[in-house]
Amino acid sequence: MQEKLSFKKGYRGRTIFRIVNVVFLIFVMILMIVPILKILSDSLDTAGTYGLNIIPKNPSFLAYKTIFTTTALYRPFLISIYTTVVGTAIALLLTTFGAYVLIQKDMPGRKFFVWMIFFTMIFNGGLVPTYLLIRNIKLINTLWAVILPLALNVYNMVLMKNFFEQIPESLFEAAEIDGCSPMRIFWTIVLPLSKPALASIGLFFAVEYWNHFFNFVMYITDTSKYNFQIKLRELVLDSQNLAPGAEAIYGRTIQYAAVLVSMLPPMIVYPFCQKYFVQGVTMGAVKE
Amino acid sequence: MFAKTQRNNLTQGTAVVPKKKDLVRRIIQYKYFYLMFLPVFIFTIVFNYIPMAGIRFAFYKYNPFAPPKFIGWENFKTLLVNPKFIAAFKNTITLSIVNLVLGMLVSIIFALLLNELYNKYFKSFVQTVLYLPHFISWVVTASIFYLILSPTDGFINQILGFFGIEPIYFMIEEKWWTPIYYFINRWKETGWGTIIYLAALSGINPELYEAAVIDGAGRLKQTWYVTIPGIMSTILVVFILNLAKVMNIFESVFVLQNPMVLNVSEVIRTYNYKVGLLQSDYGYSTAVGLFNSVISMVLVIIADKASQKIKGSGIL
Amino acid sequence: MGKPLVKRTLSIFIAIVLALSVAACTKKAEQPAAPEKSEKSEASKEPEKPASIKLMVDGTFITKEAGQDQFVAEYKKMTGVDLIINQPAHNQYYEKVNLAFASQDIPDVLIISGTTMVNYAINGALYDMTDLVDKSPIMQKVGQKYKDAVKINGRLYAFPTQAGNGPITYMRKDWLEKNNLKVPTTYAEYLEVLKVFANDPDQNGKQDTIAFTAPGLVSDDPTTLQNYMVDFYQDASPDFIKKDGKWVDGMLEPEMKAALERMREAYSLGLIDKEIVTNKTSTCRDKFNAGKVGVFTYWAGTWNMNLENELKKAVRDASIVAIPAIKETKYLERVPATMAITSKAANPEGIFKYFFEFMHDGDKGTLLFSHGVEGVHYKVTDGKYEKLPSLQDPKKPANKAFIDNGLQIVPFNDPITPDPRITESLKVFNANSIVSTLLPVSENYTKNSADILTARKETISKIVLGQMTIEEGLAKYEKDTKAITDLILKDFNAAK
Repeated sequence: MQEKLSFKKGYRGRTIFRIVNVVFLIFVMILMIVPILKILSDSLDTAGTYGLNIIPKNPSFLAYKTIFTTTALYRPFLISIYTTVVGTAIALLLTTFGAYVLIQKDMPGRKFFVWMIFFTMIFNGGLVPTYLLIRNIKLINTLWAVILPLALNVYNMVLMKNFFEQIPESLFEAAEIDGCSPMRIFWTIVLPLSKPALASIGLFFAVEYWNHFFNFVMYITDTSKYNFQIKLRELVLDSQNLAPGAEAIYGRTIQYAAVLVSMLPPMIVYPFCQKYFVQGVTMGAVKE
Repeated sequence: MFAKTQRNNLTQGTAVVPKKKDLVRRIIQYKYFYLMFLPVFIFTIVFNYIPMAGIRFAFYKYNPFAPPKFIGWENFKTLLVNPKFIAAFKNTITLSIVNLVLGMLVSIIFALLLNELYNKYFKSFVQTVLYLPHFISWVVTASIFYLILSPTDGFINQILGFFGIEPIYFMIEEKWWTPIYYFINRWKETGWGTIIYLAALSGINPELYEAAVIDGAGRLKQTWYVTIPGIMSTILVVFILNLAKVMNIFESVFVLQNPMVLNVSEVIRTYNYKVGLLQSDYGYSTAVGLFNSVISMVLVIIADKASQKIKGSGIL
Repeated sequence: MGKPLVKRTLSIFIAIVLALSVAACTKKAEQPAAPEKSEKSEASKEPEKPASIKLMVDGTFITKEAGQDQFVAEYKKMTGVDLIINQPAHNQYYEKVNLAFASQDIPDVLIISGTTMVNYAINGALYDMTDLVDKSPIMQKVGQKYKDAVKINGRLYAFPTQAGNGPITYMRKDWLEKNNLKVPTTYAEYLEVLKVFANDPDQNGKQDTIAFTAPGLVSDDPTTLQNYMVDFYQDASPDFIKKDGKWVDGMLEPEMKAALERMREAYSLGLIDKEIVTNKTSTCRDKFNAGKVGVFTYWAGTWNMNLENELKKAVRDASIVAIPAIKETKYLERVPATMAITSKAANPEGIFKYFFEFMHDGDKGTLLFSHGVEGVHYKVTDGKYEKLPSLQDPKKPANKAFIDNGLQIVPFNDPITPDPRITESLKVFNANSIVSTLLPVSENYTKNSADILTARKETISKIVLGQMTIEEGLAKYEKDTKAITDLILKDFNAAK
């Protein structure tokens, strides 16, 4: 697919488009990055500033040092990573299993299963019954109370199913004729051919776990089990509507430093996911 | 799909297999699949269907101090005679659906543009930068944009001032607030939204492009006849799934609201949040939830029907 | 594919049936017991010591990171009682309180104040401690005004933990001095100061200052809605007020018109922060700390020190002064923060003695609840008390444990003298303020207070920013709210 840039006749329009495209995307990148630079500059600024300066007045890395030395923020960071890794693994297993079963067009009861699952995306029992359930199955104050309810996500399952449906049917038929069991087809054909889907939906789950705070607040009473996101919300939100007379323990410098620290893992992980968005994965398989 | 071949073998025999037997046989054939579905089934029952019993509280008077009392449609009456609720409902639908459609359009366009980049590293870099704002919480996003749009020292008004235009206090003008709301959402979620389409784009069979090139199609034609049809099913699925979430719009509006623009910005969940803070009335809030669910369901069914007309199959 | 609709509806129907059948199997919530009436026990009977007290607190109470465990250990050492503390995230506190009651995981004691407290009390969820308070010699020492402020129909269902405190007007002292201005004592002088503050008071040749800022024209604190702008509201209040022994809606009183006129004029002259309606408290603090703001009405006490310290980081020679209220107005002290015993608690008399009385003993207990634990939060050398560095941020001195610096409501000889700025501004505040009291009980109010507050905010904001005239705005407000406010006022006027 790689084309050379050239201004020869017939290539001219294409070349102009590609240059314009790059320039346009760079412009959009700047748009995206400016507000983030503002956050960065504020996190490095020890003196109070207000306004749109991008250069900190008295730069110092104090805030970052504080974050990584106080256990108050360092432990939650580890808990975030733990729930994200464990949760994403469980969630991907459930999602791929479910999606694989739901593409079996001739399976008796398939339609019922699909609607049964989809229904839960729209209707839910509300706060109190869910809380009572978590309490009755003895998950209160365990990290499972956060991990398990999020592991089954209808939205992601339907997306995954949609990706599985793109796999050419001839592959399945060939495998069946060779006498492969459903499980084997799943492991040797479906999963390897769905790398882009696994990468993107895995990312969705990971980010959901990373950003999650609500279940922590609801089901976890021991604050030493809180994750980074809650601490972040406490830093930012509570200082916005401080209880009258309460003191802000951390200033805006630390709040914004925490915002940036919480962005680091997603920033590091994403390029690894992008590796899988490559064309022509399925093709090789069909040709074999 | 699976077992198709076996079934063909069955029906090719001379004897016609009775239907019931066929069903039992098929269930047995699919036994592994039922087994695979078991964990999903258990999860759904435990975490979704057991608490769903709570939906009945929409018809009860229910607060933390007394056992629930059945009151029939009372909560819904309270809801639907309240002009504020009706106004909030209208705002929810407009803001949310316009935001959804705009969001998908912009994300699809960006996914296509990103797809045209050939330098692997540059592509990866652009994608990462575009996706970053998704990780800045709404509260922080709001405070940054309030700064940028500030009438006194905001960046935008400084540019306007350069051209001799009077400063505009964007966030309190109803006519400005809505477009700005859409813009900030795009700023925050565009890169995030492209991910799913980028994944879908990589699933398109390259042979199709080769065939199109042989037919003499240029890049635009290839996009139109190969790329877009190739991701159409993903577009439909994403659209319908997001429709199911349309009524949940909350935080993005909540942090950008102020008393001057409530006419255009009060949505169901922000309105309820304010009312519900003091009331601890679970019956009423469940009723609101149920109302939202029913509306979502209707939207999804309409969209699914339309998708069947367009594409010949629903998303499920 | 093309599934017929019938089949789909059927599947949905089956799903619903499934859900309902499951519903039938789930356990019914237990019946909450009827609230107990406090029995008249004889004064001589010594209440027995509770083995443990289950406590539900918000972020104002000492957190785990700040040394909660040491606090609990110290409390146990002093009283012999175990404190079992549940401290949900600050922003979801009341949500979690509701949930605790709905799911019958009810604590013995909890922080609960304002409208929520009234709602809980009238629903019988809180223990009536009036008799215990009346009999208690320790509680007689607590300022009567604080007790009166939190009474519901003349009874105490919760007890104040500290003074309500409230916002006081802070001015940039260095700007006053630079421009040879005196601290204003009347509104006319106050306006003069604002005019100077709006016009390059720091003489840096740029028009980059804000004379006055506030987080919105109407605050969210019921009964003190005007607290961040008392100098402009003066004798008017946008809330329900008692006038000549009768409750009225302050929005529709004549003095409100004058107040709106004042604010509108000041706004149009550029004396009030242009962005006032979209400011959050944090925005205002950021602007003030950056040295852009001349006048800011904010919490008295600790904040005097905080604001000045932060300000000095940006502007080295800056200083601030908390001014006495101008002639036309008084500062507003909020309804005090309170804690309550739940009606479910097994031994309310014991809890009252070992927790509430201990907190207000004016001695060791008050010291513990104010400053925390010796050796952790403060140290004593040769009888001299001194704060230790905070466990969370070693660059700062330790924070309060629960009761704010200088806000104790019992006579207490505090061995740790807070920063003079704190005591000074509290002194000025106390000399210039009136204590607000809870609104009477009214179910109509509980149901509609959010709607009414929204209408008030919208009306005042639109009038002051010039989108509506005063007459238009108030007429619209009256039309929208009259039906419901009439019901509320009827309830209020009928209340004891």
